[in-house]
Formats: sequence, structure tokens, C-alpha cells
Amino acid sequence: MANYFNTLPLREQLEQLAKCRFMHLNEFDDGVEALKGKKMVVIGCGAQGLNQGLNLRDSGLDVSYALRDAAIAEKRQSWKNATENGFTVGTYEELIPTADVVLNLTPDKQHTPVVNAVMPLMKEGACLSYSHGFNIVEEGMQIRDDLTVIMVAPKCPGSEVRAEYVRGFGVPTLIAVHEDNDPKGEGLALAKAYAVGTGGHKAGVLMSSFIAEVKSDLMGEQTILCGMLQTGSLLCFDKMIEEGVDAGYASKLIQYGWETITEALKYGGVTNMLDRLSNPAKIKAFDLSEELKVIMRDLYNKHQDDIMNGTFSRVMMEDWANDDVNLLGWRAETAETAFEKTPAGDVEISEQEYFDNGILMVAMVKAGVELAFETMTAAGIIADSAYYESLHETPLIANTIARKKLYEMNATISDTAEYGCYLYNHACLPLLQDFMKDIKTDVIGRGLDLSDTGVDNARLIEVNAALRAHPVEAIGAELRGHMADMKKIV
Amino acid sequence: MTIAVNNLTVDFDERFQLHNINWQVDLGHHWVITGANGAGKSALAAALAGAGDILAGDIQGLPERIGVVSFEAQEELIDKERKKDDADIMDVISEGTPVREIIFDDCLDPDTAKDLIARFNLHYLLDRAFRKLSTGESRKVMIIRALSCKPQLLLLDEPFDGLDADTLTMFQQYLQQLVTQVPMILVLNRFDEFPDFVTHIAYVEAGQLMHQVDKQDTEAYDNLYQLLHLKSNDLDIPQAETETAIPKLPADQPLVKLTDLTIKHDEFKLIDKLNWTIEPNQHWQLSGPNGSGKTAILSIITGDHPQCYTNDILVFGFQRGNGESIWQIKQFIGYVSTALQWEYRVQISLRNVIISGFHDSIGLYTKASDGQKAIADQWLAVLGMQDRADESFQKLSYGDQRLLLIARAMVKHPPLLILDEPCLGLDDMNRQLVLALIEKICAGTETAVIYVNHHAEDKIAGIENFLALEQRQGA
Repeated sequence: MANYFNTLPLREQLEQLAKCRFMHLNEFDDGVEALKGKKMVVIGCGAQGLNQGLNLRDSGLDVSYALRDAAIAEKRQSWKNATENGFTVGTYEELIPTADVVLNLTPDKQHTPVVNAVMPLMKEGACLSYSHGFNIVEEGMQIRDDLTVIMVAPKCPGSEVRAEYVRGFGVPTLIAVHEDNDPKGEGLALAKAYAVGTGGHKAGVLMSSFIAEVKSDLMGEQTILCGMLQTGSLLCFDKMIEEGVDAGYASKLIQYGWETITEALKYGGVTNMLDRLSNPAKIKAFDLSEELKVIMRDLYNKHQDDIMNGTFSRVMMEDWANDDVNLLGWRAETAETAFEKTPAGDVEISEQEYFDNGILMVAMVKAGVELAFETMTAAGIIADSAYYESLHETPLIANTIARKKLYEMNATISDTAEYGCYLYNHACLPLLQDFMKDIKTDVIGRGLDLSDTGVDNARLIEVNAALRAHPVEAIGAELRGHMADMKKIV
Repeated sequence: MTIAVNNLTVDFDERFQLHNINWQVDLGHHWVITGANGAGKSALAAALAGAGDILAGDIQGLPERIGVVSFEAQEELIDKERKKDDADIMDVISEGTPVREIIFDDCLDPDTAKDLIARFNLHYLLDRAFRKLSTGESRKVMIIRALSCKPQLLLLDEPFDGLDADTLTMFQQYLQQLVTQVPMILVLNRFDEFPDFVTHIAYVEAGQLMHQVDKQDTEAYDNLYQLLHLKSNDLDIPQAETETAIPKLPADQPLVKLTDLTIKHDEFKLIDKLNWTIEPNQHWQLSGPNGSGKTAILSIITGDHPQCYTNDILVFGFQRGNGESIWQIKQFIGYVSTALQWEYRVQISLRNVIISGFHDSIGLYTKASDGQKAIADQWLAVLGMQDRADESFQKLSYGDQRLLLIARAMVKHPPLLILDEPCLGLDDMNRQLVLALIEKICAGTETAVIYVNHHAEDKIAGIENFLALEQRQGA
């Protein structure tokens, strides 16, 4: 199989990368009609598989689960999940030939064997659905011409997909149709009905392409979302220890700091995150982030280039073939870092203190978000996609660190994201070594020690203007506006 | 001085009884007796003044001179005057006793009386016959009589009724000056009339003294306010909204029909072949020990239990598992439980919590119509929360949250209201609040109620059907 993206002419590559549109609620007026009475068979009964199935069934759709013979015979967890919830469970041979839609909700790594096993059993003209485009775009999986291929990707963990549905809402969802496999032109109607069935339409649906989803998703997750937060955590912690800050305090400041400062990001973008700082601290964070952007820009470009030309996926798939030796080794290494091994201290840190004493963390988030956004858009990814895969998802990842540090983050994200995260971290740690030499506790751990908080007017105006003029802020304001219209929790 | 009322039961001409009152009024405390109409608050005050026949218990420490103002006392005096007139057999027109005599005959404190005549500006009617005064005028005379008897206790039953605004202010200020000299017990049914000097509130219901609240305890005070509001307001529960009306169900079909319902956890059968039919407007009480499957059965009905797809379940005309969505089911159900309250953790205003009931959602995700807002505001008025519409739900007390969730469940007038232990976790006062609201709801609508509870005392009038589950032991 050849990398699908690389087989396309540049013109088409650019066209596919530029696809991303926030859909209006009235585009979902047909509800689940396109899937009514059709047989939906889910493959994979993990968190996504089970919870999406529960939602679809509660929306009046016919859902069953196809499991491997061994999973059924040994009554594995996936079998238990499905049967305890009252679903029909059967083997591939039993269920796939009856399916109108096959929902492939297995991890990326299993896609090739799963699709190879399923495709010959699928009936003429059926639909194959993915929740991630890696298999199609990077592995170049060829799907039978008569089959429709779509993607429906709720942008949250499976448990949240269910919890939000039960509340009467949903989670933001990305949908796409693989245009090479849309023989009856029904791909979009099926994808929309699927998104309604999981409740996604209430929270906002992005219409994208397989290619834009894969290329932007990979870039975001390995750089700002996971990589930057991992590297930042390790560097900031070691610096504070070196400077004599209490280890428990340092551990807590970082573990919960990302969540706190990116909460401000979620509400009002980079501008609001920086506005939470005092004037001198804001200027300091701005200067640090400018410095960081210069140092790290080549690294971001390299990640984007490797993703675009297929190097990243090729190298990672080599590790898949090698029993994940690299991935497992790096995972073990992370568990041994000082930050990971130091529990958060029993100290009170106020919400504002996370900003005041975490100026460097704010600078790192700003630099990472802006660099990822700039790099993605420079590579032809539309601003909307770039926003979601950089700024929008950062708070979601930061939440996982607050729960159980880097271990939780790497356990929650996909293997693909985890692999990319380690690559970034290995390259970024040495890159920032010199930069960190000049860092003191005024920007990480203790806060600025100033008797006078005055600043130069001209400089402050300059900084404020630069913050607000960044392109990620314009698209962010627009998209957050849409989301707020959707999510009217007043 | 301490007045102690011990196990007092008083009969009033067999029309009304006070039951087993235990109450103590200490020196320096000033009480308000409050309660809904007909609750017995005036009877309690009257009992202190010696009215009624004591059947049991006693009152200790009552002072000799009690100044009484009440409609009953006023009526009695007027009645006496009228009888005097009728008794006059001479062929002259009797003018009746002039006000001057009514006030000053037997008066122990003429200086106070004169002072009050000036304050109330009553000089002009001193020579008129008492029985010819208007109600407001005769009330002022009664007040002067009560205050000028050198009272050792004042019993003032609705003393502010019928007074114009200026007089009211003057009179309240006057009472304020007396607080250090005379203990006062006022009967009032409007919280906004409670004078500042009041220190304690006694809440009377059905002839019983149900709550005694120290005014310093603001939480209890607020709850009492709401209880009185729910008990005494005559607002009906608001109508359902027409634009999002629930589809009509045929009256001759059961709302719910469970056939051989079996709920299993692994091999353990929590429920084994239960048959249950709920007809329209039929109220049920569901009881059983913890773990007997009450909530599981309810979640089968609401569609929240996954095994609703593997059982024979007919709900609101839908045979489950035939392409219906849970939202089509939930539109017919109002639901309240402790678990719902725990899950309702979103940043949301009180008004929008109620509106979310139209959508069966936790949180509100669609724009509310003006009609929905108006109905939500009417509900808030019923709950006595009309001034708090924009406050945050999370900042409400636990009991108030429960009240609001009940209103949310009822806002669309569902054919079926499920109340899963609605009083769980509530203190006595809040329990009564919730029950008062539920009774209001049950009385005024065509909603079938399934009521789950442990406590025998939390009964709701009008429930005639009972389903009791037994504890099943592990398989």
C-alpha cells in the first residue's frame, strides 16, 4: 500500500487540505432519517465503540457488534461490554454480510487487518465508516469501489460522548466523505445522520476531508497539544527544583497549572490568557514566547514536513511492525522522570497564582499554539482546522495532565499522538537547553519580584496589539462565537 | 418572665383543636406566630389569652395583664355594644357607648391612652359611638385599649391589618420603643410585615406547632418563608406551553406496560418476571428496601437502562426497540431523583433550569421562547423565587435545588411524573416544602405519579396503588 496523500497531484492535495467548514444546525433537519432501518454493525467495543453505539441505539438506530471469534469464545471485555448492554453480538461472518453500515472503531494500528478481514464480507453498496483517516490517507488502504467511505469523529473521549448525549447535548464532531469512495453520492447524508445519532450536531459539526483531518490532527497532537506540554512540564519542574522551589509545590504548579491557564485560553484565546497576567508579567511572557518561537520554529516545520511527506507515518509504522519497541521504551522513560515521580504537594495555590507564578508556562503555550497554527496554515491547512487542532484542543489535553500527569495524558491520547509526542519531546528538550539556562524563578515558581508594577506605555500598547493581531485570534473569535451559539448554557 | 406551654391541647367549640403544643417564650424574646390560613395561629394566640377549653396540658407563667388586639376581640366588643342597644327597651334611640368611655373606663394608664389618641389622631371621634366606627377606626381604639392597660404581655393578632401607611409606620416605631418593657407575641402571615424587633418565629400548621425558628438562623428563616409561601399562596401551577405541547395519548391505553420484566446483572436476576401496568392518571407508590431494584425499574421506563431493549416494554404507545429514540420517550416523563440533582452540575440560571424541562436536558442548549420564559417565571413565583430568576442554580441550597427540579419536571405537564425518593437528603422543613409542592401538583393536573419513598410519614394524598419490591439475595 502506498501513502494515499502522496499519490495526489499538488492541486488536489491543497484542495483537500483546505476543507473545513462549520455546519449550520439547519443542515441536520433530516435527523437520523438516512440511517433509519439500516443495520449498523460496530467493530471494536472499547470506549468509543460502546458509547457511540449506545447513543446511536438511543437515537432509534439498529446497532450490533461484530467481534472476533476469540473475543466471543473467551468472553473478553469487549464481549462483556456489548452483551451487558443488551446488544446483539456476533462474529464478523455472522454480522458483516447483513450490515448496511460498518463502523470501524478500532485503534489506528488495527485498521489494516480489520478492514482486510471485513471488506470481503461486506455487501454490495454498503458503507464503511472511520473515526480517523490514518488508514486511508497514510497507509493508502484501497476500499472496494462499490463501498461508501465516510468519517465521523467525535472530538472527545468515549465516556464524554455518552455523558453529553445523556444530558441532551453532544460533543463537537468532525465529519468527512472519502470522495474516491462515494459511488452513490450518499456519503454526506450518512455522515450527517450518524453525527445526529451520536448527538454531535447539537454541539457543532465540522465538515472536513480525510486528508485535512489526518494532517492537521497529527500536527496538532504531536507539537502543541502533547509534545509542548510534556517538554514544558519536564523543563519547568527541573528548573524549579534546581532553584530550590519546594518539590511538592513545583509538582502541583505544573500538574494543575496547564489546566488553569488554558481554561483562560479556551474562553478568550491567547489574548485572554496573557491578559490574566499583570502588565509587567504580560510583557515578560510575550518576550519569552517570541524567543521560544524563534528557537522552535524549525522543529515545528520539521514535524509538519514529516507529516506531509509521509516520513512520520512510515517511521511509526516501522515501530508497529517491530512490536512497538520504541513507543513502549519511551513510555517507560517518561514514567521515570522527576516530575512524574513527585506527587503534588498539599499546598493551596489560588487560580491567579497559577498565572503569576507560571509566566514561562503561559509563554510556552502561547508560542506552541501560534507556531502550530502558523505552520499548519503555511502548509495549506485551512485556518479553521488549524485552530481546532491547536488552540481549541489544548485545554482538553491539559485536563488529562491535571488528572494524572503525563501518564494520564499519554494513556488517554491515541498511540499515534503518543508516538509523535515523544519524538517532539526528544528533539525539543536539547533545543531549549541554552534558553533554560537564563530562566530564574521569577518566571517559573515564584513570580516577578517587583515593588513597582509600572510599565512603559508604548511597549504595552505594542504587546497588546501584537497579541490581538495574530491570525489565530481572528478565526478563534469567529469559531468560539459559533460554538457559543450552539452551546447556550446561559 | 417565662411563659411555658406544656403538651397543650385546646378545643374551640369542636370546630378546631390545637394539638400537643410545646412552646416556651423567654424574657427578651419577641415572637411571631405564622402559618397558612386556617392553620391555627390565631387559635394559639387566643389560647394564651384564655380562649377555648383545655383538654390536656397547661400554660405556666402567664402574666396577669395581657393586652390583646385581634379581630375576635374587636368583634366581641362590637357585639356587646350591639346587644346593649337591642336590650334597650325604652323608646329612645341609643347612641351606644362613646369611644371616650371605651378607652378610659377601667383604663390603668390614661397618660399612655392620651398620648396614643394624639398619635393616632383620634380626637375627632372620642364622642362617637364605638359601634358606629369603621373597621380601621375601631381597630385603632382596640390598639389603644391594649397598650394602655399596663400590659405585661402583648398579644397582637394581625395588628397591622387595615392601617394606612402613615399610621402603620408610626405604630411600628411605637412598638419598637416598647420592646425593652413588654414581651410581644404577634400573629402575622406576611413575612414582609415582620417588625425588626422580632427574634423568633413559630410556624403553625393543622393545629400543631411545627417549627420554631430563631431569626438569626437565616437558612431556616428563608426556608420558613418559602414554606409559608407554598402553603398560603393561591397561585395555580402554570399551564403547559402550547407551542411545544406533548403529543396527546389515547386515554384508554396504559401509559406503561411491563411484561415479564427481567433485569440481570451477570447471572444475578435483580428483577424476575415483573408485570406492571400504569394507567393514565393513576398514582403509584413504589417501595422496597435498598437494592431491591426500584431505580432500575424506573430507568427501564425512562429508557436509561440498557436492558430496556431486551425486555417487552410498552411505553406511551412505543413498543421499545423499534426505531424510537429515547427523546420520544422522555418527552412524556417528568423525572426527579437525588441522582439527577447530582448530575445537574452545569452553570445555569434558575429560570433556565426550569426551561430545560421542556427539552429533558441537563443544561439548556437551545434558545428559549418568550412563552417558555413566561412559564418559567410563573413557576418561580409559585416557588417564591421570582426575584432570583437569574441567580446561579449551583448557589441554591440543597432543598431549593430539589424544589426547582420538581418544577422542571412538571413544566411540560407530562402524563407521567416519576419522583424517586424526592425527599431523600432533605431536613424536616425542606421535606415539608417538597411535599407541599408535590401535593399542589397532584391536585391540579392530569399527571400519573410514581412515588418512591422509604418514609411512611412522607405520604402523598391521593396515591391508591402500591407496588412493593422484596429484597432479592444474591444468586
